Amino acid sequence: MTHTIFKSIKLINPATNFNQKVNVVIHNETITNISKDLHLEKFNKNNQTIIYDCEGLTMSPGIFDMRVNIGKTENLKFTQITAAESGITSMAILPNQTPKLNNPSIIDHIKRQSEDINLPKVIVYGAATKDLNGLEISEIGLMSEMGAIGFTNGNKSIKNSLVMRRLMSYATMINRPIIQHAEDEDLSGLNQASTTSIRGEMNEGEISTRLGLIGIPACAEVIMIERDIRLAKLTGAHYHVAHVSTRDAVNVIREAKRSGLYITCDTAPPYFSLNESKLLTYNTAFKLSPPLRSEDDRLAIIEGIQDGTIDAIASDHRARSKDTKAQPFSAASVGASGIETLFSLTLDLVHKKIIDINKAISFLTINPAKILGINSPSLEEEKLADFIVFNENEPNTIKQENLKTGPTPFDGKKIYGKILATYINGQAAFMNQIFKNKIIK
Amino acid sequence: MNKLLKNNYEVNKSSPVKLLSHHLLAIEGMQKSEIQKLLDRADYFANLDKHTDTKNLSGYVVLNVFFENSTRTRVSFELAARRLGAEVINISLINSSIKKGESLLDTASTLNAMKPDLLIVRHPHSGAPILFAEYLSCSIINAGDGRHEHPTQALLDALTIKRRIGYLEGLKISICGDIANSRVARSNIHLLTTMGAKVRCVAPSTLMPSNLEKLGVKCFNDMKEGIKDADVVMLLRLQNERMSGTENPSEREYFNFFGLDETKLSMASPNAVIMHPGPMNRGVEIASALADDTNRSLIKTQVEMGVAVRMSIIEALNHSKNKT
Repeated sequence: MTHTIFKSIKLINPATNFNQKVNVVIHNETITNISKDLHLEKFNKNNQTIIYDCEGLTMSPGIFDMRVNIGKTENLKFTQITAAESGITSMAILPNQTPKLNNPSIIDHIKRQSEDINLPKVIVYGAATKDLNGLEISEIGLMSEMGAIGFTNGNKSIKNSLVMRRLMSYATMINRPIIQHAEDEDLSGLNQASTTSIRGEMNEGEISTRLGLIGIPACAEVIMIERDIRLAKLTGAHYHVAHVSTRDAVNVIREAKRSGLYITCDTAPPYFSLNESKLLTYNTAFKLSPPLRSEDDRLAIIEGIQDGTIDAIASDHRARSKDTKAQPFSAASVGASGIETLFSLTLDLVHKKIIDINKAISFLTINPAKILGINSPSLEEEKLADFIVFNENEPNTIKQENLKTGPTPFDGKKIYGKILATYINGQAAFMNQIFKNKIIK
Repeated sequence: MNKLLKNNYEVNKSSPVKLLSHHLLAIEGMQKSEIQKLLDRADYFANLDKHTDTKNLSGYVVLNVFFENSTRTRVSFELAARRLGAEVINISLINSSIKKGESLLDTASTLNAMKPDLLIVRHPHSGAPILFAEYLSCSIINAGDGRHEHPTQALLDALTIKRRIGYLEGLKISICGDIANSRVARSNIHLLTTMGAKVRCVAPSTLMPSNLEKLGVKCFNDMKEGIKDADVVMLLRLQNERMSGTENPSEREYFNFFGLDETKLSMASPNAVIMHPGPMNRGVEIASALADDTNRSLIKTQVEMGVAVRMSIIEALNHSKNKT
């Protein structure tokens, strides 16, 4: 019976507001002991105790990435392995994949297919409407019984107001959130047939004018949110806005939360790290949905993170092949990779003194879990050993060539922080050589 | 103003121009001196008898690759290249980029493997020539990309104005019409503002792109106001193929408010000239009679100047590549 000891590690546990240097002992899939003083003699009787010298390292709950697209370039297992290497211990996947996650049996199938004691847990969103067409609501009750955790049309918005009203109303019976990609698709030109040349391609403004690309006005986001908030008020539903990207959206959500409605939202690293000026060279790695916005919008996202209007940070991972990106901007695919950079870009907020590390970890762990009604991960004695070990301060540079998924909009960005090990159910799902060398004989 | 009529620098019009880049992808970012020199050299070509031997690019291979329909631009480039003695091959690839199987870059690298010296590209997507320039080793000329730029059109427009009026700096130039969808407008805005002209843009608010004034122009929704005292009235084609049907109620309504007729033109300077990049919709952007008024309309001169301007550009790109 092996005990693993993490000696002198800084333990950050947002659920109990804990941030101290301790020794952590795990046994099988459970944390058995957290203490300041380590009585090694208890363990030394047998040789099966492994001790890691974790001086200077940090432990926190594993990341719960609440928004992952499994695209054509990856399969689920590949994404799980990549996620484990990136510090993710649970991830929620969107229904817009092939085949669509729109019925109870496929939800069940995905859950079974992804079950692996030593890989990140896969949590599934069901399609809010059949075939994601936005017209008829799908069997969200049955899907919920099979474990679907929330309902969404993925990267398309739930456009029809009546459909949204019914969905929200129905979802209250099963206590599940409705997750919206908030975009008025008429306004952004996305409802046009793909052959017409008026589909929105980037944020509308001076830069879209210079580049001759079709602009999507920032208000396309808040228009949808404002409507949905009224429907949430009407139905009492839990409404969650995905990847918030504009100042107006943050303001409206802040107001709605104050009025007591059950409204939550997340954002993704591009929206607090980058702005539309990145598009000036037509680099398609920056072609995202929602599009990169103005600098003022970016600052508003940061304010939303600081004051808690924004609840969570998700990767919004949507990896794309090189072929679909090596195209003229208008013809290139939308989306970028995210899981591999989620942790370090969130930690960047700490290094820039925007939020403290406890809060940063909350955005990646207990907050998304709470939104989706999943047991909050907490590193306490007798609790499950799902955690990550990382170096908060190790300087690093994001390089596309070192990543397994692409394209990253952060190629060349200097960051701090490195995941050294990811433990799932008490076992190392990932451990790099630096950490392996920390073992004390 | 008179001193501007004369060139205040030594110009050697008889030798090719050297540019900072061996591509011509956009006017935005070009230096004033580069534009000046290209125009001067083009002016020299325009003055030559068409039988003068200008064939100093023998063995130079030009691929005219058009992903979008074009008559005048394609022919103009072809004539320009031939007058310089280059080999020209025309390739029409309309709709082929959306055909399954071959990506744009595959097409481009196939063409590149044939080792052309110059690729002249017209493409419906903004930025496509920039992508070509990133991946290919030959020189690239942007012959119009989506709504982005049409640099050779702006240069030929500038030459047309210079030959008629004598200078660009300080001129009041009104660009009128479908600015939002126009690459010609963007290239002209960049070129004319760089050269010191006072540029105004006139369009219905639905066809006025966001934050256009940040490009250094004044914006007007009232055409009479927008062309008041203008020295040049430049009209743009209404690009219905790039619209969704929500921009403009009807052609007759458009003509009523934004079509150039005698009444509106009377607001402009008495000597104002009229330009249009073509093809024009008579009775929509411009009253037919005005288009044909040879005293005021420079539309045919624009076409004529196209060849001279493109000769100076092709020659300059060859020169700039050899010397870098």
